[in-house]
Amino acid sequence: MREDRPEKSMSTAGSSSSALRDHYTEESARIRQEFASTGNGGAALAQRTALVEKIALELWSEVVCPEQRGPRNFTLVALGGFGRRWLFPHSDIDLLFLHADRDTEQALKDRIRSFSQGLWDLRLKLSPATRILQECDRFDPTNVEFAISLLDCRYLAGDPDLFTRLHEKVIPRLMTRESQSLLQRLADVTRSRHEKFGNTIFHLEPDVKDTPGGLRDCNVALWLSLLSSMDKLQDWPDPKSLLSPSARKQFDPALDFLMSVRCFLHMRNGREDNTLSWDAQEEAAQRGIGVYESKELSAADWMKIYFGHARSIHRTATQLLEEIPAAWSSLSRHFQTLRARVSDTDFSVVDGLVFLRESSALRDPEVLLRLFHFVALHDVRLSTTTEYKVERILPSLAATPPKGAELWLYLGEILTQPHAAEALRTMHSLRLLTLLLPELKPIDSLVVRDFYHRFTVDEHSFLAIETLHRLREPRSEWEKQYGEILNELEDPELLYLSLLLHDTGKGAVSENHVEGSLAIAERCLQRLDLESSERETVLFLISNHLEMSAALRRDIFDSATVAAFTEKVGTPERLKMLCLFTYADIKAVNPDALTPWKAENIWQLYIAAANQLNRNVDERLHPDAEVHNEKIAHLRTLAPTAGKRVKAFLEGLPQRYLKTYAAQDVLHHLEMAEALGKHPVQLDLTRGRHWFELTLVTNDRPFLFGKVAGTLAAWGMNIVKATAFSNQAGTVVDTFYFTDRFRTLELNLSEWERFKRGVSGVLMGEADLDRMLKSRMQAEEKKSQPKVKIKMSIQSDNLCSSNSTLVQVVAQDRPGLLYTIASCFSHHKCNIEIALIDTEGQMAIDVFYLTAIRNKLAPEHLKQVEAALREALHSGP
Amino acid sequence: MTKVEAVIQVSKLESVKAALHEIGIEGMTVLEARGHGRQKGHTEFYRGREYTVDLIPKIKLELAVADNMVEKVVQAISTSARTGKIGDGKIFLSRVDEVIRIRNDERGENAL
Repeated sequence: MREDRPEKSMSTAGSSSSALRDHYTEESARIRQEFASTGNGGAALAQRTALVEKIALELWSEVVCPEQRGPRNFTLVALGGFGRRWLFPHSDIDLLFLHADRDTEQALKDRIRSFSQGLWDLRLKLSPATRILQECDRFDPTNVEFAISLLDCRYLAGDPDLFTRLHEKVIPRLMTRESQSLLQRLADVTRSRHEKFGNTIFHLEPDVKDTPGGLRDCNVALWLSLLSSMDKLQDWPDPKSLLSPSARKQFDPALDFLMSVRCFLHMRNGREDNTLSWDAQEEAAQRGIGVYESKELSAADWMKIYFGHARSIHRTATQLLEEIPAAWSSLSRHFQTLRARVSDTDFSVVDGLVFLRESSALRDPEVLLRLFHFVALHDVRLSTTTEYKVERILPSLAATPPKGAELWLYLGEILTQPHAAEALRTMHSLRLLTLLLPELKPIDSLVVRDFYHRFTVDEHSFLAIETLHRLREPRSEWEKQYGEILNELEDPELLYLSLLLHDTGKGAVSENHVEGSLAIAERCLQRLDLESSERETVLFLISNHLEMSAALRRDIFDSATVAAFTEKVGTPERLKMLCLFTYADIKAVNPDALTPWKAENIWQLYIAAANQLNRNVDERLHPDAEVHNEKIAHLRTLAPTAGKRVKAFLEGLPQRYLKTYAAQDVLHHLEMAEALGKHPVQLDLTRGRHWFELTLVTNDRPFLFGKVAGTLAAWGMNIVKATAFSNQAGTVVDTFYFTDRFRTLELNLSEWERFKRGVSGVLMGEADLDRMLKSRMQAEEKKSQPKVKIKMSIQSDNLCSSNSTLVQVVAQDRPGLLYTIASCFSHHKCNIEIALIDTEGQMAIDVFYLTAIRNKLAPEHLKQVEAALREALHSGP
Repeated sequence: MTKVEAVIQVSKLESVKAALHEIGIEGMTVLEARGHGRQKGHTEFYRGREYTVDLIPKIKLELAVADNMVEKVVQAISTSARTGKIGDGKIFLSRVDEVIRIRNDERGENAL
């Protein structure tokens, strides 16, 4: 095929190229100047697109064909950003050289090469593709980007009929035929990209193009809408018109903002660099990029605007991704089917999305909170309609927001579910979380600059909570070890709440963020009506959340370091919580922050401190000398007239006693001790969250601890924890925490008194414990083998304490175990000064401080006790 | 020019950094390390299991200095890192052929 070829002399070509270059340079400078004064990214992109188009057409007429609508059977098509008229200053220029057939392609090869070269010489970064029309009708799954870019195609020059065939026939046919594959591939590529960025928009230095919530997600939202429409409606509308009006209301300003930001970054950096670095954030804030109100903004405030827009875009894109119809693999479909089975009376789950069965149900705040509990439990997402319904009831909820113990009841439950972090993120993005916990408002999308943190403060907190929940499915030996501690916690919701609040101080004007967080947390805890012991725990964790990291900078194998750290921690439960807090806090800073070095050192410090806590238990209280003891001071405040009696009661009790019990409990024990005159055995039975608690206050005597343990075993109770303390006057305070294996107490309120009478009877010598135990053991003769075999170990330490011998027993848990151990000690004339009993799964971990005639056990005596204990544990009760 | 590598106790990092800053040394690389010489490992028993750490956590510092600063740097590190007990660590010196600053291609001692 012979085409007209324009005749141009070299000198004319050279001077017109030079003119083009000058024109391009001048106009680019003008556009830049205009953007500098207006900050209007949309206008800048439109102008740049027009400029490049003009240049391309000038070159076209010089090199390819003097008429814009020629040559025949060949057309120049703008794709991608150029096609959309969103040409950023340093973006590639996507062009398609479309031929009707191979002959045309061959004939125009040289001219096309010259044309491309001309553009390159003008420093326009070309991203060319060459196809014949037939090839555009084929979908290449490995090159989904090309197929998608066709959605933005725009005629520039050449044969208009050829373009019409492409636009009206080939592309619609391709999109309709391959819509499922295209949607699926686009979704896969998008999800991979999101995962690469940690599935969060909250990066401290985000990439405005590729980070979730960025410009790429804008494109994805529009493409997904368009592809679905072309499939269903056989139509090719403006993709923006396919978004719902409410989505569009947020989408348009967000798109405008992001365009301005990316434009700014390109001009600032002089290259295709889309990272909103800290310096760039400062400058953008100063210049008010993307913000049309004239007010001074700090970088932090400007970034909040950024995150607000990114959130809208991300939400729109994610909702559209979730709604991709059945294009999943059979495995995904099976997973979705399983998730559908979790539907209940209030909520139904379809394709992993939650719908409300009753439209008006959310008017009840309880249903609203249960909705998010449902999300946290089942790892499902809210459907678009459900999200809108939540947003609609927020104004009325704000008038009378849930608060107090009822709110905490639900919030605590949400926090402990395996997908709590996702539920919290959804609540946060819908503005529900800050309505319920206004304390989180100052850290909403808050950027705090340091070299370590990668995410905003709120996202860091959610990530820390997510990190702990991931320990339930450990993927390494470390995660398994830390996961074991997590399973041992009595009140994990307090740990999660602490993580949620621990950095709120970063949003306050305070030099020390820990102090700021404490002040904020105190208000929050008061509003949630937590019990005083729960508040103490949360405040302790927030106050000391950097202690373990600080200790790691010292010699963790030095006993002085461990002792100092242990002194701050106080109890094993707090130690576990603080260890997990530290693990999660570091891991949530950035993916590489928790190095194996740090993970191992935290673990080593944890076990050293755990052992230290068991070794220094019997340091005794001397109230007159404890001038700085906050708990004693607090006791004096609560019972100002009982000063002498409190002092006498506390004298000689171990330090651990005060760390274990809240002030109210101590006063209650004092009351029980003072009632011993009326009855020598005082018992208090309560139902706790996880187990029953039996507190005994009485005068010490041989076999006491063993008898109580035996009575509980005889009633079929499983002792999971116990503490035993005694003061100088010989008054003991023993607390047994047990589960009711046969639901005797749980189902029969009347049995509570009989149970207490049973314990009292044994201690008073009025009941035959041996007979009770025998009949229980006979009833339980046939039992299944334990699932996990625990190796028995007995360790003793005669050096850790100045006046007791420490004996630690690790053994297979079984009914009557504690009775066996305690009886063995008593039979060998050992007095149990202190007992710390713990059970983890099938493992019983019991620590005793023993004396014989008020002294440590002599080495020979200790050997006999150990031997007897081994034999007793081997033979059983 | 000389490369100085020092393996020190974790707890001594801040004082070594301060000592180096005092003699005008600002640039260094800090690495988390584990090791031991004659220092024995550490064993803890926890819940009936033995946890032995043979390789003790250490910090390794790496810096390149001009030859006329080597002795001062060695002294600064030794004095600030020393406790007098086994496990204090060691300093290694080696020759450096060339140093290049990536930002502006400066070479030699100017790049230190």
